[in-house]
Amino acid sequence: MSDANNRRGGPVLALRQITKEFPGVVALDKVNLTIGRNELIGLVGENGAGKSVLMKIMIGLIPPDGGTISLHGQPVTLRSPGDAIRNGIGMVFQEGSLVPNLSVMENLFLCHEAGFRRLGILSLRSMRAAARELLAQLKLGIDVDLPVAEISPAERQMVEIARLLWLTKLYGHDNPVLILDEPTTVLADKERETLFTILREIKSRASIVLISHRLQEILENCDRIVVLKDGKNVTEMASSDARLQKIEQLMVGHSFSTDRFHEDEQRRRGEKEILRVENLGKAGQFQPLSFSVGEGEIVGLVGLVGSGKEEVCKCLAGLEKADSGSIFLDGKRLPAGSPRGSVRAGIGHIPIDRRSEGLALMMNVAENVNLLVLNRLKAGGFLSPGREKKNARHWVEECQIKTPSISTLCANLSGGNQQKTVISKWLSSRVRLLILDHPTRGVDVGAKDEIYKLMRKLAREGIGMLVMCDTLEEDIGLANRMLIMKDGRLVQEIGSAPKTKPDPKDIISLIV
Amino acid sequence: MTAARNGAQQESKKRSIHPRQIPPVYITVALLFVVGLVFYLGNPNFITPYNLNTIISFSAILLMVALGQMCTILVGGIDLSVGGLVSFISVAFIVLIKPIGYLAYPACIIAGVLAGYINGFILTRVKIPSFIATLGTGGILTSLAYLVSPRPVNLAPDLYGVVDIVNGSLLKASNVLLIGLVVLAFFLVILRFTATGRNIFYIGSNIRMSWMSGINIVKTRTIAFMLSGLGAALVGITISSVRFGGDPVVGTSYVLNSIAAVVVGGTALTGGTGGVINTVFGSLFMSMMDNGMTVVGLDQYLQQAILGVMVIIGVTLTFDREKTPIVK
Repeated sequence: MSDANNRRGGPVLALRQITKEFPGVVALDKVNLTIGRNELIGLVGENGAGKSVLMKIMIGLIPPDGGTISLHGQPVTLRSPGDAIRNGIGMVFQEGSLVPNLSVMENLFLCHEAGFRRLGILSLRSMRAAARELLAQLKLGIDVDLPVAEISPAERQMVEIARLLWLTKLYGHDNPVLILDEPTTVLADKERETLFTILREIKSRASIVLISHRLQEILENCDRIVVLKDGKNVTEMASSDARLQKIEQLMVGHSFSTDRFHEDEQRRRGEKEILRVENLGKAGQFQPLSFSVGEGEIVGLVGLVGSGKEEVCKCLAGLEKADSGSIFLDGKRLPAGSPRGSVRAGIGHIPIDRRSEGLALMMNVAENVNLLVLNRLKAGGFLSPGREKKNARHWVEECQIKTPSISTLCANLSGGNQQKTVISKWLSSRVRLLILDHPTRGVDVGAKDEIYKLMRKLAREGIGMLVMCDTLEEDIGLANRMLIMKDGRLVQEIGSAPKTKPDPKDIISLIV
Repeated sequence: MTAARNGAQQESKKRSIHPRQIPPVYITVALLFVVGLVFYLGNPNFITPYNLNTIISFSAILLMVALGQMCTILVGGIDLSVGGLVSFISVAFIVLIKPIGYLAYPACIIAGVLAGYINGFILTRVKIPSFIATLGTGGILTSLAYLVSPRPVNLAPDLYGVVDIVNGSLLKASNVLLIGLVVLAFFLVILRFTATGRNIFYIGSNIRMSWMSGINIVKTRTIAFMLSGLGAALVGITISSVRFGGDPVVGTSYVLNSIAAVVVGGTALTGGTGGVINTVFGSLFMSMMDNGMTVVGLDQYLQQAILGVMVIIGVTLTFDREKTPIVK
């Protein structure tokens, strides 16, 4: 291993022609990535461009379908994150991977305490000394005995970075590869500066891959920028040659193929107002904001993760309780923080994670479709199997759910058909407003198109929709209007009428 | 490396298929016949009208408590208090007959349902897992049974008329069997043809989805535990009637036997999948084991061990472990 480390000059890690397919989607298509010594690389791309999949392959979480990974010129197979660490590759996850109730010190050396054993017992004193020294290297003054739950998100990231540095050193790597997945989204401005100061410092003994949606910080801090789009390498360039507009253009691409989103079917907002939100606010999540959704209107809620858009939708669906303001549906005020209240008023919610939040997977299609309307399917006070079948068949046909029969378990349907099952469940309940949380995530191209068509059809029937999409293109293509959110504020409202659709570039600069 | 990759690919393919070729209930039925045959070979007297009648009567009693237990398991919980409740009702019923006569029936049924309501309340409102909540209430009920009567209590012969409802026979079938069938029909209707019954399955399948879809989780889970209380109360009444006396320890075996009957029938302990018919066969299996081992003259001290082994084998065959990566 030390032999490999001594081989200076060549790239530390090289990914060649990496391909990964998921059922119906090519997540990565012959992607290349080369990481040199002491390099800070910025990896950018829209949601769904394949950044996360590439990262997961680099740390051995998922195996690639094709292509090679080589470390210091030697091909390697990474079977698990543990494998990756032993090869000097570690990742700081967006959601963090520390154990909150253990102390900083315990987290730093978790599962690798063997070196601190004295006569079979862990020497807390030597652990503490090592922890202090490690953190001092990163110029951090955190109390190593504090539980991780009590330190700030920024400090937690630092602890994770310190842990990775220590671990890779333990395995004899003098130039590890650290991957940071959107480390700055949870940080305040000042903390962000500190992070980059430290990253520049670490660079002298590590290579860093940084994923971020904030292009400005990538431009300012990285040596090289790699752009991914739709699972392919678009380009890469030295930061010194790059310009913000250029990268934005490359990320979004120009390929607005003719009417992918059925824009010619886009309806004008109806007379009637369906949803009205007045000064809705939730401390720490989003500032008070007001907006409305009209009959047959599709409103896109656009912003980064952490912009507060998810929380707004959760308040509407009753999953969370807002601190202030009110929500009106068809002019009637909604009870706060009650999913039951929201459902009864006529708000439907297509969750982002349909498997864990949208479906009873071990129950069949009919049982899932009929969930909300059992009371309508009764005869003489009892559920009528005949009516149940009739209702399920009707909606399976209406939403074109491709299933062998209505008694097929939902677990056995494809992602797109599962999504259509969730949608039909809400449609059969005669919903007034539908919240669609990334309705096309993990759905193949064909099913995507059917979901777009379905949304247009719902608009024709007068249903109001609030949608959060996977890509900006999708937001622009589908929406009548877009509400732009940034850092918990509703910053702007942008019209998106057919033929005069706004330019994604203009919107990216608003949300980043 | 290529080989390793291919291996990984094949593995992921294998995992993406959901096998459900043989529904668990058929396996239970097959198991029933195989084990029945073994007992028959051990002692031909195992299959006589008299013995079969005994097995069916036993299983009818077990079924009542197992069906209620099944409801709590379907909503993702468990009811460990059924043993204490059966014991308590058993003595309370006999003691109550003297002062209130026939009113002892509704009184005991109401008490059972109320005990179930309290279990449900502790689970849904105090938010304590049902495993702990019912362990606690089970202990309380066991104590109550001893407080009502520390020793077995017999019914005065002049009051035997009151328990004739259970001991009599109608249309050549014993009333115990008929009560079992009525209870079976009741649970079948609740679980198949009412919204509450369907909600029990939705909640067991995916409680977060159910909450997000506006299903009344508190109400449904509470009802599941009330159904369990109802089943246990009916068993307490039935046993005491058959024996013309109550016993403060009579319920003890029903905790594990009811859970075993549910799980051997193919209902997953994780909730959501299973059903009434499964539990019917599960109860038959458990009763047949109990009876068969005695009929073939197996050493009494060995019987518990054999029963334990058979429960594990039964669950291994009927429980679809593919669907449940983490077993608690």
